[in-house]
Amino acid sequence: MNVFLAVLWKDLLTEWRSRDRVVSMLLFSLLVVVVFHFALPDNAPETTRAVAPGLLWAAYVFAALLGMNRAFAIELENEALSGLALAPADRGWIFLGKALANWLLLMVVEAVTAGAFALAFDLPLGSVAFPLAAVLALGSAGLAAVGTLFAAVAVRTSYREVMLPLLLVPVLVPVLLGAVRATAELLASGALPAGPMRLLAVTDAVFLIGSFVLFDYVLEE
Amino acid sequence: MAANDRTHVSRARAGSGWLLAASLAAYAAVVAGAPIDATQGPIQKILYLHVPCAFAAYLGFALTALVGALYLWRSEARLDRAAAAAAEVGVVFCSLVLLTGPIWARGTWGRWWSWDPRLTVTLLLWFIYLAYLLLRGFTEGSERAARFAAVYGIVGLLAVPLNYFAIQLFGGRAIHPENLARGSLGAGMGLPFALGVVTALVAFVHLWLRRLEVADLESEEAAATHGAGEA
Repeated sequence: MNVFLAVLWKDLLTEWRSRDRVVSMLLFSLLVVVVFHFALPDNAPETTRAVAPGLLWAAYVFAALLGMNRAFAIELENEALSGLALAPADRGWIFLGKALANWLLLMVVEAVTAGAFALAFDLPLGSVAFPLAAVLALGSAGLAAVGTLFAAVAVRTSYREVMLPLLLVPVLVPVLLGAVRATAELLASGALPAGPMRLLAVTDAVFLIGSFVLFDYVLEE
Repeated sequence: MAANDRTHVSRARAGSGWLLAASLAAYAAVVAGAPIDATQGPIQKILYLHVPCAFAAYLGFALTALVGALYLWRSEARLDRAAAAAAEVGVVFCSLVLLTGPIWARGTWGRWWSWDPRLTVTLLLWFIYLAYLLLRGFTEGSERAARFAAVYGIVGLLAVPLNYFAIQLFGGRAIHPENLARGSLGAGMGLPFALGVVTALVAFVHLWLRRLEVADLESEEAAATHGAGEA
């Protein structure tokens, strides 16, 4: 438990001091917004509204892929990861500390990107800000769980930038489907839809427990 | 590793080879004589290839995850080779499913591809276990590659029911027939279908053992050259 708090605090502190991950993820997801603008037809608010939830989550996944490898890449310098692995506690707690730090970072990036989306595409996201935050929280939890586990794997392969998306995206489909559907129904009705939220909660639970247990084998050297 | 283990594999492989030859002959004869479907015409016979291959692919992926989990528990390099071989053969069968499916779909549904849940889940499985094989290729050190692959294989299998429910709920309209419940096959179609399933599973086992045999030889070879280099 102490290991969990220590890793969380260390990751947040290094990020606060350098701010390199949050800035690069934010800039990238704003660039994605610009690119999506070119992909969408002009003067077709109906179309924009219909595809916006999917595009929003696509931007989140891109940003997450960009940021998550970094969380472990810095641990490879000076063999810090081996030091971490020696911590006298279940390695699952190291995973949880890393995952929670990633989740907080994702939430910041996602909130700002959602604001940019609302402004750029004239979406009424402001009026559903609180329920939208719940959708983002659940969706990002699944993303941060498997993302953190696979990032720990991907950074130690010879092709780390390519490996993470190839590993992560096909497994992430239930999270993405639930999150996109929840966002779409929230935009349409203004209320949180029960079905997609339940799917997200179940998926998050499976991925969090699975990653907690399996992280031990990823770190073992 | 004891050469003894490999002899067992060789013997089982040879036995499964004869079994495969016999069951292929029976399968070919029965499928050739099977009745032509009244509404779909001859293209319906692709069923006898498509669905058995899907079963073999699912078996391969389940084995990849289960044997991978066993590897994490016991740390025997041989288990890892068995898991990797199951993934390779599973991907081959899965590719056959994804090739025969569109041909059949074009003939009966009128289009090559649809985002039917079962189709989408199978496609995702194909991606997951291809990524599994890539991951092995891109990881240095056989022990580390084995651990990473086992972890990924397990998460890949965990994702299957989630994917299936998610996609069934929100991901597209189902047009695959609702299960091959008893009685949904026409008269005279049960036997060729059953033989097809048996043949595909025997073919899977045979290829799996063959791949395992090669992997065992490779690791013996590597150990031998490594030992000679040190001496």
